Amino acid sequence: MKKGRNVSRKIEGGLIGLLKKIFFIDLLTGMSVTLGYNLGKSITMRYPHEEKWIPYPRFRGVHTLNRDDEGRELCVACELCVAACPTDCITVVPEEDLTGRGIADRVPKVWTVNLVRCLFCGYCEDACPTTAVRLSRDYELATTDFSRTVRNRDELLQPPAIPETVKGGVVVEARYDKKNMKVRANMLRQKDWWKSKLNLG
Amino acid sequence: MFELADITTFIVSISVFLILFVKVYVVAAVLFSLPIPLTWIERKVAGHIQVRLGPFTVGPHGILQPIADTLKSFSKEDVIPEKADRLIFILAPLIALVPACMVFVAIPFGESVTIPYINYELTLYIADMNVALLYILAISGLGIYGIIFGGWASNSKYAVLGGLRSAAQMISYEVALSFAAIGVVMLSNSLSLVEIVKSQAGGFWNWNLFYLPVGPVWFIIFIIAGIAEINRIPFDLPEDEGTLGAGFSVEYSGMKFAFFPLAEYIAMTTVSILAVLMFLGGWNTPFPGAPVVPPIFWFGIKVLAFIYFFMWTRFTFPRYRYDQLMTIGWKILIPICLVNLLVTGFMRILL
Repeated sequence: MKKGRNVSRKIEGGLIGLLKKIFFIDLLTGMSVTLGYNLGKSITMRYPHEEKWIPYPRFRGVHTLNRDDEGRELCVACELCVAACPTDCITVVPEEDLTGRGIADRVPKVWTVNLVRCLFCGYCEDACPTTAVRLSRDYELATTDFSRTVRNRDELLQPPAIPETVKGGVVVEARYDKKNMKVRANMLRQKDWWKSKLNLG
Repeated sequence: MFELADITTFIVSISVFLILFVKVYVVAAVLFSLPIPLTWIERKVAGHIQVRLGPFTVGPHGILQPIADTLKSFSKEDVIPEKADRLIFILAPLIALVPACMVFVAIPFGESVTIPYINYELTLYIADMNVALLYILAISGLGIYGIIFGGWASNSKYAVLGGLRSAAQMISYEVALSFAAIGVVMLSNSLSLVEIVKSQAGGFWNWNLFYLPVGPVWFIIFIIAGIAEINRIPFDLPEDEGTLGAGFSVEYSGMKFAFFPLAEYIAMTTVSILAVLMFLGGWNTPFPGAPVVPPIFWFGIKVLAFIYFFMWTRFTFPRYRYDQLMTIGWKILIPICLVNLLVTGFMRILL
């Protein structure tokens, strides 16, 4: 290694590089970028106190059991979802029912899903021949009560908090209900939070 | 028996002492409450530069966050490592803090204001020393002892490395900082900060910053050396999180730890104020024809702009490597200082 030759080492980029160094061009470019971010809009979502994200319809959250237009249960307790489930988190016990509770004379006596085991793959949804099982867009599953992790048929038959008709993909106004530990979303005002001037790509 | 004149003199001297006492008290109170807005601003600037929001929970827009942090610091357990040098370990934060505050004895915030009704002319500085600049450079240099002692007394390898780096960085950059001060002294023909500001009166073209071509060079040297002096990014090697944990303060906790950021914020304000006084005309208005506003307003605006500048650079630049730091200090800044000193001298003699 000849050290002497490094003394007259060429400056990167020649004369323009030297001028750039003298006038701190690169540093100033960096600072203009950060100034742009500083003056631009933040992309932080103020969840749960002010805003809440409503996912797209393709989102896979907690299961729901659906009814048809006449209010009959769509589930025929065929147990295909149980067979499709990779984690064995669904339990179905069929029974015979002739009162017209379901669309067929075979209805589920028990339909539970263990949300701790469930990996929200949506195979049950795909396997279901009557579109009874759907994955809703409810994603607030954190709980201090372990019994809440197993959802039974009556809970799943309730209509989901976000109806399927809502397009989703938006941020809505929300507020945090401390007493019930729930986020109350307001669907009236929709904000396109990502429409800021920043280009993060 | 007392003469009437004696009593008057006595009352006057007592009131002078009282006014001085009040001034010192006010400055100290402002200094110790300074980190409360500054930490909030810093965290907000950090947040927005990183496209976040910063603190948002405590108070409107998180404005009470520093108070919550202070309470947290007070309630933390104050750990002293078993093998630490107890006395120096406890003294180090104080040694860092006291010189940072002592500097403000010599710093003027304005010339004078006349208090209405009693018609008393109040000077907006504690002391107008004729060697104020020298005093400030000397005293602010002492603050580094706090960091070195803190690093040494912790009996931890990271802390001692942080302290050593701090010492080396201090030696390299104090030279350039002093040279920049000499440049300003040559331009203004005085070491007194009040005189330096007075010499820049009347429009921004009279500022030392615009004394072409040497003014901007002195200014840039002062800013670079100043950032290195107050240990902020890109020169924050003493508390290099990436390689040293938290550097010299790694063993500190609770309120003793909080003293270091406190000293750092006060030092940051000092450097901002010095840059404003020395280069940006202090409390002088940049546009003489503009409507008259109190001089303290211009002073505050300029200092705030500088504080923002320091925060802005902190969240823009990566940290320099240790050898790069030394290269910049010895091989670039000091030669430029010498050349610039020569040019300034010739310009002062010939022009």
